[in-house]
Amino acid sequence: MTRTRLALAAVALLAGLTACTDAQPVKETAAPAASPPAKEAAPPAETCDPRASFRPTTALQIPAGSHMKTIRDRGRLILGTSQDTLLFASRDPFTAKIEGFDVDMGREIARAVLGSPDKLEIRVVPRAKRIEAVQKGTVDLVINTMTANCARWEQVDFSTVYYEAGQSLLVGKDSTAQRIEDMGGRPVCAAAGSTSLENIGRVNPPPVAVARADFGECLVAFQLGEVEAISTDDTILAGLAAQDPYAKVVGVPFTQEPYAIAIDKKHPEFTRFVNAVLERMRGDGTWASIHDRWLAGSGPAPQPPAARYR
Amino acid sequence: MTAVQAPPTAALRRFAGLRHTSPGRLQLLLVILLVLTTLTGLVAGLAARSATVGTADLRDRAQPLMVEAETVYSALADADSTAAQAFITGGLEPPALTRHYDEKLTAVATALTSAARRVPADSAAAGAIREINTGLGDYMALVATARALNRQGKPVGAAYLSTASQLNRNALQPQAQLLLSAARREAEVGYNNARSAGWLVLLVPLVVLLMAALVWTQVHLSRSTRRTFNVPLLVASALTLLVAVTCSVIFVHQWVRLADADRDGSGPVEALAEMRITVLRERSNEALTLAARAGHGDLEDEFTRMAGGLAFDARRLDDVRGLMATAESQHAAYLALHQRIRELDDGGDYEGAVRMAVGDETTKAFKEVTTTLGAAVADRAAAFDADVRSAGRGLGVLTVLGPLLAIGIGMSAAIGLRARLEEYR
Repeated sequence: MTRTRLALAAVALLAGLTACTDAQPVKETAAPAASPPAKEAAPPAETCDPRASFRPTTALQIPAGSHMKTIRDRGRLILGTSQDTLLFASRDPFTAKIEGFDVDMGREIARAVLGSPDKLEIRVVPRAKRIEAVQKGTVDLVINTMTANCARWEQVDFSTVYYEAGQSLLVGKDSTAQRIEDMGGRPVCAAAGSTSLENIGRVNPPPVAVARADFGECLVAFQLGEVEAISTDDTILAGLAAQDPYAKVVGVPFTQEPYAIAIDKKHPEFTRFVNAVLERMRGDGTWASIHDRWLAGSGPAPQPPAARYR
Repeated sequence: MTAVQAPPTAALRRFAGLRHTSPGRLQLLLVILLVLTTLTGLVAGLAARSATVGTADLRDRAQPLMVEAETVYSALADADSTAAQAFITGGLEPPALTRHYDEKLTAVATALTSAARRVPADSAAAGAIREINTGLGDYMALVATARALNRQGKPVGAAYLSTASQLNRNALQPQAQLLLSAARREAEVGYNNARSAGWLVLLVPLVVLLMAALVWTQVHLSRSTRRTFNVPLLVASALTLLVAVTCSVIFVHQWVRLADADRDGSGPVEALAEMRITVLRERSNEALTLAARAGHGDLEDEFTRMAGGLAFDARRLDDVRGLMATAESQHAAYLALHQRIRELDDGGDYEGAVRMAVGDETTKAFKEVTTTLGAAVADRAAAFDADVRSAGRGLGVLTVLGPLLAIGIGMSAAIGLRARLEEYR
């Protein structure tokens, strides 16, 4: 059995290694403690402004030849997301439907393109394959707690930021660890292909990074005692902690993870369209009501992240 | 040293000197005949004994081991696909699926326990059994946790299920495959042991030599005396001929029957077992593709490869051609349904695809395939059993009859030669 576990872990690690992304962690001093991630403090090493997207279209019109027209002709919007990120995109065991903040964002875009939020097809995309799915066109867009960063901007376009998260740490109730630095030399889990896994690798002293297919499987590893902690965005950790009364999220976020919607570079008009939808949602209270529906546990809805354009 | 060596040397010299006198020659012949007779009786008995034990071992150990190894493998694949189907259904598990899953795991556990008794503790097969046993506990615990979490509405239950499924597919099933190939080797060894070729290689020349010695003795006696026939020696020759004929009939029958058992039983059972496992894995891949909800993927490609590799018309399966034709058309019906499931899923109707995959029509169509394959396995297993039972026929009698006939030959030869020796007194 031990050998089996080791083999599985090795496979998972391998998957993690081949799925490198490169989010830039913010130095601790750059992120003021306990404040929402500062919008003006772009990670020092970034070569671009990952938060700045294309200007939105002025009206939600669907010109011939646009990708929106393709979607409308098809009759459904194909959304790539996960099924085990509670609160953002997870599968309700009773109804077998995938729902959450990210899915509702997708539903709003489906409403704008197709007139109905239900004309949405969900494809579950492993985190390590999100960019590939967008580039291959197997999905129209990915909304999946996905951090916009410069390396990913090279491969896909991003919408404006729809949520600001930051990486944090989940440990057992009885753990004395307060920050990721306290986990040096100990096993910490993150999903393969996530910026979180990369960020763990940059911590000093380095924890032992353990990769799993997704964060739900990290929680399994945590509950089976294979890892001592999980480190990823505070948003995802909140969803995990909600499922395990013996887990707690500690410390303050040590990175900034601006979530944006990934779209194929071949369809900049679609990115502009999505930005217009996001613009509308920020203004008419839709963003706030989606926030309240899923994330009320973290307090009243803050101001939605302001859009930045290039 | 010399004191110890001297008597044998002296005895040998005396023994060698015997050939120079007529009574000496007769005494020598008698010794040779008695030695050959004893050896023939002994080897005939041992050959029959070894063939009996080997045939029984093949019937009661090697072949059942293979059936059990196949049960372990196919029940593991079945449990995995059942768990995945229960998952994609959503809500609480349908009781029928839970029951089916429990049955399969019980089948795995039972087959493992029984297989463990049939293999030496230090063999590769025993190692595989231990690995599966340990992993099975973990697997069942993971699935039980997934169920409990599912009941509480916690999505992490899905992650437990996928962890369990990975354990099943990446650790347990490969071990089951190891066990199956170990069982296959055991069966091959079993066939070789049952044939007891080593003893037969000894027996044949012994019988030939004994016969030749008897004939030579009689020719020698008819030349040196005026009697043409020596009745006791004739009886001895007849008995030797009887030994030769009996052994030939029994062993040739056994070899033919063993070959039949291999061709009509073991071979087809093995092919059918592989087929059943492949078909179960197809169904499992179908459910796991839907559970992953990622559309057409590696598992679906594997499905296509596996479906293409199924040979219902393999020559080994000629004896169950009727059942195979049924299975083939049933499998084709299932494939058509699977095709529609994939079209629904790829066309964006995930819920429709799930409904169809777990629906009665597909479930029934798939069950028909496995039921037919099960019937074919049972048919071939029965053929094997009949052949092996027949192969063992007569061997028990020969175990006793061989030595008894040899005693008869020895006594007749002694009587026949003693009458001649008496004349020199």
